[in-house]
Amino acid sequence: MSRLSHFLIAGTVLVAATVSSTARADDQDVIDYREHIMKTIGEQVAAIGQILQQKAPADNFVTHAQILAITAATAKKAFEPKVPGGEAKPDVWAQWPDFGKRLDELTAATADLARIAKTGGIAAAAPKVQTLPCKSCHDTYRVETKK
Amino acid sequence: MRLPAKNALKVLASAAIFIPSIVSADNQDVIDYREHIMKTLDEQTAAVGMILSNAVPGDNAAAHLQAIALTAQIALKAFEPKVPGGEAKPEVWSNWADFSKRMNEFAKNSLEAAALAKEKGYDDPALAAKIVDALPCKSCHDVYRKEKK
Repeated sequence: MSRLSHFLIAGTVLVAATVSSTARADDQDVIDYREHIMKTIGEQVAAIGQILQQKAPADNFVTHAQILAITAATAKKAFEPKVPGGEAKPDVWAQWPDFGKRLDELTAATADLARIAKTGGIAAAAPKVQTLPCKSCHDTYRVETKK
Repeated sequence: MRLPAKNALKVLASAAIFIPSIVSADNQDVIDYREHIMKTLDEQTAAVGMILSNAVPGDNAAAHLQAIALTAQIALKAFEPKVPGGEAKPEVWSNWADFSKRMNEFAKNSLEAAALAKEKGYDDPALAAKIVDALPCKSCHDVYRKEKK
Protein backbone atom coordinates (compact mmCIF):
# COMPACT_ATOMS: atom_id res chain seq x y z
CA MET A 1 0.00 0.00 0.00
CA SER A 2 1.39 3.42 -0.89
CA ARG A 3 2.37 5.95 1.71
CA LEU A 4 -0.22 8.38 0.44
CA SER A 5 -2.88 5.71 0.68
CA HIS A 6 -1.94 5.01 4.24
CA PHE A 7 -2.20 8.65 5.09
CA LEU A 8 -5.51 9.05 3.32
CA ILE A 9 -6.80 6.10 5.28
CA ALA A 10 -5.54 7.81 8.39
CA GLY A 11 -7.63 10.82 7.45
CA THR A 12 -10.65 8.60 7.08
CA VAL A 13 -9.98 7.22 10.49
CA LEU A 14 -9.94 10.75 11.80
CA VAL A 15 -13.30 11.57 10.25
CA ALA A 16 -14.76 8.50 11.81
CA ALA A 17 -13.07 9.47 15.08
CA THR A 18 -12.55 5.85 15.91
CA VAL A 19 -8.95 5.09 16.65
CA SER A 20 -9.15 1.50 17.73
CA SER A 21 -6.42 -0.10 19.77
CA THR A 22 -6.64 -3.31 17.73
CA ALA A 23 -4.37 -3.40 14.72
CA ARG A 24 -5.16 -5.57 11.69
CA ALA A 25 -1.78 -5.87 10.08
CA ASP A 26 -1.47 -8.10 7.06
CA ASP A 27 1.93 -9.41 6.03
CA GLN A 28 2.67 -6.61 3.57
CA ASP A 29 1.79 -4.02 6.21
CA VAL A 30 4.25 -5.63 8.61
CA ILE A 31 6.99 -5.54 5.97
CA ASP A 32 6.19 -1.98 4.91
CA TYR A 33 6.20 -0.77 8.48
CA ARG A 34 9.60 -2.16 9.40
CA GLU A 35 11.00 -0.85 6.11
CA HIS A 36 9.84 2.67 6.99
CA ILE A 37 11.85 2.35 10.17
CA MET A 38 14.97 0.89 8.56
CA LYS A 39 14.90 3.45 5.75
CA THR A 40 14.69 6.22 8.32
CA ILE A 41 17.77 4.83 10.02
CA GLY A 42 19.50 4.72 6.64
CA GLU A 43 18.64 8.33 5.85
CA GLN A 44 19.81 9.55 9.24
CA VAL A 45 23.08 7.63 9.10
CA ALA A 46 23.63 9.07 5.63
CA ALA A 47 22.98 12.63 6.85
CA ILE A 48 25.39 12.13 9.75
CA GLY A 49 27.94 10.74 7.31
CA GLN A 50 27.62 13.86 5.14
CA ILE A 51 28.23 16.06 8.17
CA LEU A 52 31.28 14.07 9.22
CA GLN A 53 32.60 14.36 5.70
CA GLN A 54 31.98 18.11 5.83
CA LYS A 55 29.48 17.92 3.01
CA ALA A 56 26.69 19.33 5.14
CA PRO A 57 26.69 21.92 7.92
CA ALA A 58 27.23 20.62 11.41
CA ASP A 59 24.38 22.58 13.00
CA ASN A 60 21.99 19.64 12.87
CA PHE A 61 24.36 16.92 14.04
CA VAL A 62 22.91 16.53 17.52
CA THR A 63 19.37 16.38 16.18
CA HIS A 64 20.27 13.71 13.64
CA ALA A 65 21.83 11.66 16.42
CA GLN A 66 18.64 12.03 18.46
CA ILE A 67 16.41 10.99 15.56
CA LEU A 68 18.64 8.00 14.93
CA ALA A 69 18.43 6.94 18.57
CA ILE A 70 14.66 7.34 18.73
CA THR A 71 14.18 5.36 15.53
CA ALA A 72 16.59 2.60 16.48
CA ALA A 73 14.56 2.09 19.63
CA THR A 74 11.45 1.38 17.54
CA ALA A 75 13.05 -1.22 15.29
CA LYS A 76 12.84 -4.33 17.45
CA LYS A 77 9.10 -4.03 17.92
CA ALA A 78 8.67 -3.79 14.15
CA PHE A 79 10.50 -7.09 13.61
CA GLU A 80 8.62 -9.03 16.27
CA PRO A 81 5.93 -10.33 13.92
CA LYS A 82 7.43 -13.35 12.19
CA VAL A 83 6.86 -12.24 8.63
CA PRO A 84 9.77 -12.94 6.29
CA GLY A 85 9.93 -10.74 3.22
CA GLY A 86 11.32 -7.49 1.99
CA GLU A 87 15.02 -7.35 2.74
CA ALA A 88 14.84 -9.39 5.92
CA LYS A 89 16.31 -12.88 5.78
CA PRO A 90 14.41 -15.70 7.51
CA ASP A 91 17.41 -15.88 9.86
CA VAL A 92 16.00 -12.83 11.64
CA TRP A 93 13.41 -15.11 13.24
CA ALA A 94 15.37 -18.35 13.16
CA GLN A 95 18.05 -16.65 15.25
CA TRP A 96 15.82 -14.24 17.11
CA PRO A 97 17.86 -14.16 20.36
CA ASP A 98 20.94 -13.03 18.44
CA PHE A 99 19.03 -10.61 16.20
CA GLY A 100 17.15 -9.14 19.13
CA LYS A 101 20.37 -8.74 21.07
CA ARG A 102 21.95 -6.90 18.15
CA LEU A 103 19.01 -4.53 17.91
CA ASP A 104 19.23 -3.89 21.64
CA GLU A 105 22.91 -3.11 21.17
CA LEU A 106 22.07 -0.74 18.30
CA THR A 107 19.53 1.00 20.51
CA ALA A 108 22.09 1.39 23.29
CA ALA A 109 24.84 2.52 20.89
CA THR A 110 22.68 5.17 19.24
CA ALA A 111 21.41 6.43 22.60
CA ASP A 112 25.02 6.73 23.69
CA LEU A 113 25.87 8.55 20.47
CA ALA A 114 23.03 11.03 20.98
CA ARG A 115 24.12 11.68 24.56
CA ILE A 116 27.76 12.23 23.61
CA ALA A 117 26.82 14.42 20.65
CA LYS A 118 24.78 16.62 22.92
CA THR A 119 27.39 16.93 25.63
CA GLY A 120 30.64 16.71 23.67
CA GLY A 121 29.80 17.76 20.13
CA ILE A 122 30.93 16.24 16.86
CA ALA A 123 34.56 15.71 17.79
CA ALA A 124 33.55 13.55 20.75
CA ALA A 125 30.77 11.71 18.91
CA ALA A 126 32.50 10.94 15.60
CA PRO A 127 34.37 7.87 16.85
CA LYS A 128 31.08 6.47 18.16
CA VAL A 129 29.47 6.85 14.75
CA GLN A 130 32.15 4.70 13.21
CA THR A 131 31.40 1.89 15.63
CA LEU A 132 27.69 1.61 14.87
CA PRO A 133 27.11 -2.02 13.98
CA CYS A 134 25.05 -1.51 10.79
CA LYS A 135 27.16 -3.54 8.40
CA SER A 136 27.79 -6.55 10.61
CA CYS A 137 24.08 -7.01 11.17
CA HIS A 138 23.18 -6.42 7.53
CA ASP A 139 25.78 -8.97 6.44
CA THR A 140 23.97 -11.61 8.45
CA TYR A 141 20.33 -10.64 8.36
CA ARG A 142 19.63 -8.57 5.26
CA VAL A 143 19.06 -9.93 1.79
CA GLU A 144 21.54 -8.53 -0.67
CA THR A 145 19.43 -6.94 -3.36
CA LYS A 146 20.54 -6.39 -6.92
CA LYS A 147 20.98 -2.88 -8.18
CA MET B 1 18.10 1.75 3.54
CA ARG B 2 20.37 0.17 0.98
CA LEU B 3 21.81 3.08 -0.92
CA PRO B 4 22.08 5.73 1.77
CA ALA B 5 23.42 3.27 4.32
CA LYS B 6 26.02 1.87 1.97
CA ASN B 7 27.17 5.32 1.01
CA ALA B 8 27.16 6.34 4.61
CA LEU B 9 29.31 3.40 5.63
CA LYS B 10 31.89 4.40 3.04
CA VAL B 11 31.69 7.93 4.35
CA LEU B 12 32.01 6.87 7.94
CA ALA B 13 34.96 4.64 7.19
CA SER B 14 36.82 7.58 5.75
CA ALA B 15 35.67 10.19 8.24
CA ALA B 16 38.44 11.83 10.21
CA ILE B 17 38.04 12.21 13.93
CA PHE B 18 39.09 15.84 13.73
CA ILE B 19 36.20 17.73 12.20
CA PRO B 20 37.09 21.20 10.92
CA SER B 21 34.29 23.72 10.86
CA ILE B 22 34.64 24.46 7.16
CA VAL B 23 32.02 22.78 5.02
CA SER B 24 32.88 22.00 1.43
CA ALA B 25 29.44 21.03 0.20
CA ASP B 26 28.85 21.12 -3.52
CA ASN B 27 25.37 21.48 -4.99
CA GLN B 28 24.69 17.76 -5.11
CA ASP B 29 25.65 17.45 -1.46
CA VAL B 30 23.15 20.16 -0.58
CA ILE B 31 20.42 18.36 -2.51
CA ASP B 32 21.32 14.97 -1.05
CA TYR B 33 21.32 16.32 2.47
CA ARG B 34 17.88 17.91 2.31
CA GLU B 35 16.55 14.76 0.65
CA HIS B 36 17.76 12.66 3.58
CA ILE B 37 15.71 14.92 5.79
CA MET B 38 12.61 14.91 3.59
CA LYS B 39 12.77 11.13 3.12
CA THR B 40 12.96 10.72 6.87
CA LEU B 41 9.78 12.76 7.16
CA ASP B 42 8.22 10.66 4.44
CA GLU B 43 9.09 7.35 6.10
CA GLN B 44 8.06 8.45 9.57
CA THR B 45 4.81 10.00 8.35
CA ALA B 46 4.03 6.78 6.52
CA ALA B 47 4.63 4.83 9.72
CA VAL B 48 2.27 7.11 11.63
CA GLY B 49 -0.29 6.74 8.85
CA MET B 50 -0.09 2.97 9.18
CA ILE B 51 -0.72 3.21 12.91
CA LEU B 52 -3.64 5.59 12.52
CA SER B 53 -5.19 3.36 9.89
CA ASN B 54 -4.81 0.39 12.24
CA ALA B 55 -2.52 -1.41 9.83
CA VAL B 56 0.08 -1.94 12.56
CA PRO B 57 0.11 -1.65 16.37
CA GLY B 58 0.62 1.77 17.86
CA ASP B 59 3.36 1.10 20.41
CA ASN B 60 5.84 3.28 18.53
CA ALA B 61 3.48 6.15 17.72
CA ALA B 62 4.96 8.62 20.18
CA ALA B 63 8.48 7.81 19.01
CA HIS B 64 7.56 8.31 15.35
CA LEU B 65 5.97 11.65 16.14
CA GLN B 66 8.99 12.69 18.13
CA ALA B 67 11.20 11.78 15.17
CA ILE B 68 8.98 13.83 12.87
CA ALA B 69 9.05 16.78 15.24
CA LEU B 70 12.84 16.71 15.51
CA THR B 71 13.24 16.34 11.77
CA ALA B 72 10.83 19.21 11.15
CA GLN B 73 12.97 21.45 13.37
CA ILE B 74 15.99 21.01 11.09
CA ALA B 75 14.30 20.85 7.70
CA LEU B 76 14.25 24.56 6.95
CA LYS B 77 17.98 24.86 7.58
CA ALA B 78 18.59 22.25 4.89
CA PHE B 79 16.74 24.39 2.35
CA GLU B 80 18.57 27.62 3.15
CA PRO B 81 21.25 27.18 0.48
CA LYS B 82 19.66 28.35 -2.75
CA VAL B 83 20.31 25.23 -4.75
CA PRO B 84 17.39 24.20 -6.98
CA GLY B 85 17.35 20.55 -7.91
CA GLY B 86 16.09 17.21 -6.77
CA GLU B 87 12.38 17.44 -6.12
CA ALA B 88 12.42 21.05 -4.95
CA LYS B 89 10.81 23.58 -7.26
CA PRO B 90 12.56 26.95 -7.74
CA GLU B 91 9.55 28.49 -5.96
CA VAL B 92 11.04 27.29 -2.68
CA TRP B 93 13.50 30.18 -2.97
CA SER B 94 11.46 32.64 -5.03
CA ASN B 95 8.65 32.36 -2.43
CA TRP B 96 11.00 31.88 0.51
CA ALA B 97 8.86 33.89 2.94
CA ASP B 98 5.87 31.62 2.35
CA PHE B 99 7.91 28.42 2.24
CA SER B 100 9.73 29.17 5.48
CA LYS B 101 6.49 30.21 7.17
CA ARG B 102 4.98 26.84 6.25
CA MET B 103 8.02 24.96 7.47
CA ASN B 104 8.05 26.85 10.75
CA GLU B 105 4.35 26.11 11.29
CA PHE B 106 4.98 22.47 10.50
CA ALA B 107 7.80 22.39 13.04
CA LYS B 108 5.62 23.98 15.72
CA ASN B 109 2.57 21.80 15.06
CA SER B 110 4.52 18.56 14.86
CA LEU B 111 6.13 19.36 18.19
CA GLU B 112 2.68 19.80 19.72
CA ALA B 113 1.50 16.51 18.22
CA ALA B 114 4.54 14.70 19.62
CA ALA B 115 3.91 16.17 23.05
CA LEU B 116 0.26 15.13 22.92
CA ALA B 117 1.16 11.57 21.90
CA LYS B 118 3.68 11.32 24.71
CA GLU B 119 1.23 12.65 27.27
CA LYS B 120 -2.01 10.96 26.20
CA GLY B 121 -0.99 7.89 24.24
CA TYR B 122 -1.55 7.01 20.60
CA ASP B 123 -5.21 6.06 20.96
CA ASP B 124 -6.33 9.39 22.34
CA PRO B 125 -9.08 10.63 19.99
CA ALA B 126 -7.64 14.15 19.92
CA LEU B 127 -4.32 12.89 18.63
CA ALA B 128 -5.52 11.88 15.17
CA ALA B 129 -6.99 15.34 14.61
CA LYS B 130 -3.82 16.97 15.83
CA ILE B 131 -1.65 14.82 13.58
CA VAL B 132 -3.61 15.59 10.44
CA ASP B 133 -3.49 19.27 11.37
CA ALA B 134 0.23 19.09 12.10
CA LEU B 135 1.26 17.34 8.91
CA PRO B 136 0.08 19.45 5.98
CA CYS B 137 2.43 17.57 3.68
CA LYS B 138 0.29 17.60 0.55
CA SER B 139 -0.57 21.30 0.53
CA CYS B 140 3.12 22.20 0.67
CA HIS B 141 4.19 19.52 -1.80
CA ASP B 142 1.54 20.69 -4.28
CA VAL B 143 3.23 24.07 -4.42
CA TYR B 144 6.90 23.37 -3.80
CA ARG B 145 7.68 19.82 -4.88
CA LYS B 146 8.09 18.58 -8.42
CA GLU B 147 5.70 15.83 -9.41
CA LYS B 148 7.58 12.57 -9.83
CA LYS B 149 7.28 10.97 -13.24
